[in-house]
Amino acid sequence: MGVSPGRPVNTDFSSPDEAQLAAAICPVNAILAQGKSALVDPGKCVHCLRCRWGIPTPMNWDAGYEWARPSAGNGEGATFPASFSKSLHIMVVDAGDCGACLHEVKQLNNPLYNMHRLGFFFTATPRAADLLLVVGPVSENMRGALQKSWEAMPSTRRVMAVGSCAISGGVFGRSFMCAGGVGSVLPVNFEVPGNPPPPLAILHGLLMATGRKPATKSEPVAEGRS
Amino acid sequence: MNTVGLALVLLFLVCAAGVVLGIVVPARRVPPLVAWAGSAVAVLALWSSGAVLISGNEFSHPLWTIPSVGTLSILMDRVSAFFLLIAAVVILASSIFSATYMKRYAGRYSLAAFNAWYLVLCASIVWILIESDVFGFLLAWEAMSLSSYLLVNFEHQHQGTRQAGYLMLAMGEAGFIAVELVLVLLAVRAGSWQFSELKGAAIGLRPAILWVVFLLSFFGFGVKAGLVPVNAWLPRAHPAAPANVSAILSGVILNLGIYGIIRVDFQLVPVSTVGTGLVMLLTGTVSALVGILYATTESDLKGVLAHSSIENMGIVTLGLGASVIFVALGLPLLSGMALIAAFYHMLNHSFYKSLLFLGAGSVDEHAGTRDLDRLGGLMRVMPWTAGAFLVGALAISAVPPFNGFVSEWLTLQTLLRGVVIQSTPLRLVFALCGATLALTAALAVTCFVKAFAIGFLGLPRSEGAANAVEAHGTAIAPMALLAVLCIVLGVLPTYLIPALNRGLKPLIRRGSAQVLVPPFFTANAENGQLPAAFLHDFHNLGAQSGRTLLPGRGLVVLLRGREANPVVFAMSPAYALVALAILLLAGWFVVTRLTCGRSVVRRPLWAGGIPRLLPQMTYTATGFSNPVRVVFQAIFQPHITEDTRQTVAVHFRTAIHRQREEIHVVDRVFLRPVDAAVRRIAGFLAGMHNGRLNAYVTYALAFLLLMLLMFRAA
Repeated sequence: MGVSPGRPVNTDFSSPDEAQLAAAICPVNAILAQGKSALVDPGKCVHCLRCRWGIPTPMNWDAGYEWARPSAGNGEGATFPASFSKSLHIMVVDAGDCGACLHEVKQLNNPLYNMHRLGFFFTATPRAADLLLVVGPVSENMRGALQKSWEAMPSTRRVMAVGSCAISGGVFGRSFMCAGGVGSVLPVNFEVPGNPPPPLAILHGLLMATGRKPATKSEPVAEGRS
Repeated sequence: MNTVGLALVLLFLVCAAGVVLGIVVPARRVPPLVAWAGSAVAVLALWSSGAVLISGNEFSHPLWTIPSVGTLSILMDRVSAFFLLIAAVVILASSIFSATYMKRYAGRYSLAAFNAWYLVLCASIVWILIESDVFGFLLAWEAMSLSSYLLVNFEHQHQGTRQAGYLMLAMGEAGFIAVELVLVLLAVRAGSWQFSELKGAAIGLRPAILWVVFLLSFFGFGVKAGLVPVNAWLPRAHPAAPANVSAILSGVILNLGIYGIIRVDFQLVPVSTVGTGLVMLLTGTVSALVGILYATTESDLKGVLAHSSIENMGIVTLGLGASVIFVALGLPLLSGMALIAAFYHMLNHSFYKSLLFLGAGSVDEHAGTRDLDRLGGLMRVMPWTAGAFLVGALAISAVPPFNGFVSEWLTLQTLLRGVVIQSTPLRLVFALCGATLALTAALAVTCFVKAFAIGFLGLPRSEGAANAVEAHGTAIAPMALLAVLCIVLGVLPTYLIPALNRGLKPLIRRGSAQVLVPPFFTANAENGQLPAAFLHDFHNLGAQSGRTLLPGRGLVVLLRGREANPVVFAMSPAYALVALAILLLAGWFVVTRLTCGRSVVRRPLWAGGIPRLLPQMTYTATGFSNPVRVVFQAIFQPHITEDTRQTVAVHFRTAIHRQREEIHVVDRVFLRPVDAAVRRIAGFLAGMHNGRLNAYVTYALAFLLLMLLMFRAA
């Protein structure tokens, strides 16, 4: 599958039944049937491929990786000022992550993705961080630490939620031990959907946060199959 | 009899009355009694010593004549008065401190006994310092030894205290016997008990005998002064005593050891060879290094102070040794400088160490522990105690503008003047001792950064430290007094150095202070007290600022060299203080101006996102000093035992018990071998006591024969 697992995109089926079928087979309720169309919420999708292989008429498929988007609430105008475009320091907080997203984040440092060439750096302390990169659905035990990290950051600070768990709670959802996404704890500015998102998607998110790549436009409903 | 005599008579009367009153009054009235009686003694001692020092007239008085012993007499010359002055200040502080501190012992220990021993100790200290005959001196010395032992042993319910007390008593008596041997032999040779007549007794002694006299007296008094290798008792006894007694032990009784060395080795039998000076110099250097190494790794607050006393006495002895060597080499000016430095340091040490001991006692009283690993955060709850302790810690770390800096700097500079010595090996020894002294000073900073930062800053590590309250006013007042003295002595050395020189006239060549403190305030271009070009340069540097406001010679300590190198060394804590204040104010002004338009957001300290920063997570005293422990492993030679219990398999160890044992280097190298040898000899001699009557009769007969033979030969 190359550098990206791909993900389903909004699809117009020939009949409402097919759309219902696609919505029914999604284990995380990421697909909503609307007439003949099946609309995907990328913030929930876990790339289980059931909507691709498990139904007679598969969903349209996006094999790319430019998935990052501004968050619905705080994303507008949250792009970093130009002075950050050559040096952005990122603090990663593992807020109850299963390890997958963290592993992908870790890949950014390796020679293949090499985020340093783009002016992105990891830092271990929030005092020096500009961007708080959160993975995981925010378990109760990490809620305090996450808030403290946020409070300890100097101003011109942004939050990026990476992975469907961080965006919407993912397969963990909301429970007494889980906040169900970073948005319920901190004001999220950027989201990188995917479960986990490939490193290139995270890089895209970082470039978008610094204003060096445009945000992904809401995809048009595809006519045919990809 | 003049006022000095009257003051001394009153002093001893106050002591006697205090002892009697202590037995009569109820126990709760005893702590104030200790404070009042002790303060009265101190004030009277201050008065009498001050009168002698200011007027310069010695006070002497014959007491009474004992048949077959001779006349007992007292003499307070300037040296005595100087030591008495230091003792009086320390006794004053620790007596006032006793008023509330001693209440913690009410009900558990006999306060009347404490009162009695405390006043006897004060009286015997004064007595030692004014005594001028061998008999009375030894008697007073013994009274001081016994009463200080009884005070150290005051908390006798602790086994550690009892052991420390016994060791102190045993080593003190061993030193006493050595001193007694020297003094009595000299007295017999002179045919008089008077110190003044003993001075001639040493003339004509063979060098080997002089060496024996020197070694016995130096190390005999060295026991009380805490010099390596006869100081094994000190780090045990000083922490074991109540804090006010610790202050006197460190601030006065260590000085008495130096006093004995001065009296015997500088006045009665003046040592004037390079060899004896080297023994003193090296003993001092080793004491300083060993003392501060163990102080740095110790985590008991009073233990830190006790080990550091060894260091400071080492520095004093080092100065004395350097002075002897300079005299022997015909360099009286440098010798005077070394003596001034040594006495200055002794004076400083008495003040800051008693201040620190009182502070440690205050901490012990209110936080319930002296273990640095269980203290912390006291700055918030005990700000005054902490402030006074901070002044003491800065002073002992030799940080300007506090007093420790002046004397350590002078000692170091004097040692560095060893370059003028002709012989290369001696020059090397001076350089090495100077380097060791510098290392000692650096370790002292580490040590007291640890003592203050771990003990008073950060988070409280125990319930007691968290719930501590500020000490009572009567405990803070003496600490404040000593802290002010520490600052005054640190800022105004140019007034003290001439005073020291005047006070110690019999010992110091007159010119040393004149050379060390150039008369910048009185000199001008006309009167020629200083060369015109030199004066001009220093006038431009500001050395004459304040001449219209202040009396005295100047505010700069300076040693002038030859043409090519006009200034050998120079410093001025007073000007430095002014400059420091101006720089700090200017810095503060600039920073506030630059940041006035900036909004500040205050957030909790970032500690890795943990829920709460626990005291267990902070740096401990043990952790802080571990680098020193590792670097100097060759000296510490720790014995580490590791006990691993395996339950499941070889690779799954469940319990590891790691124990580290250290035997003090002095114990390892000196005390234990001596102890083993004494035991062996005693074991061998014990064979004589076989319980058979015939054997004992034989011993008596043999002894009789021996005596007959000896007297026949005579």
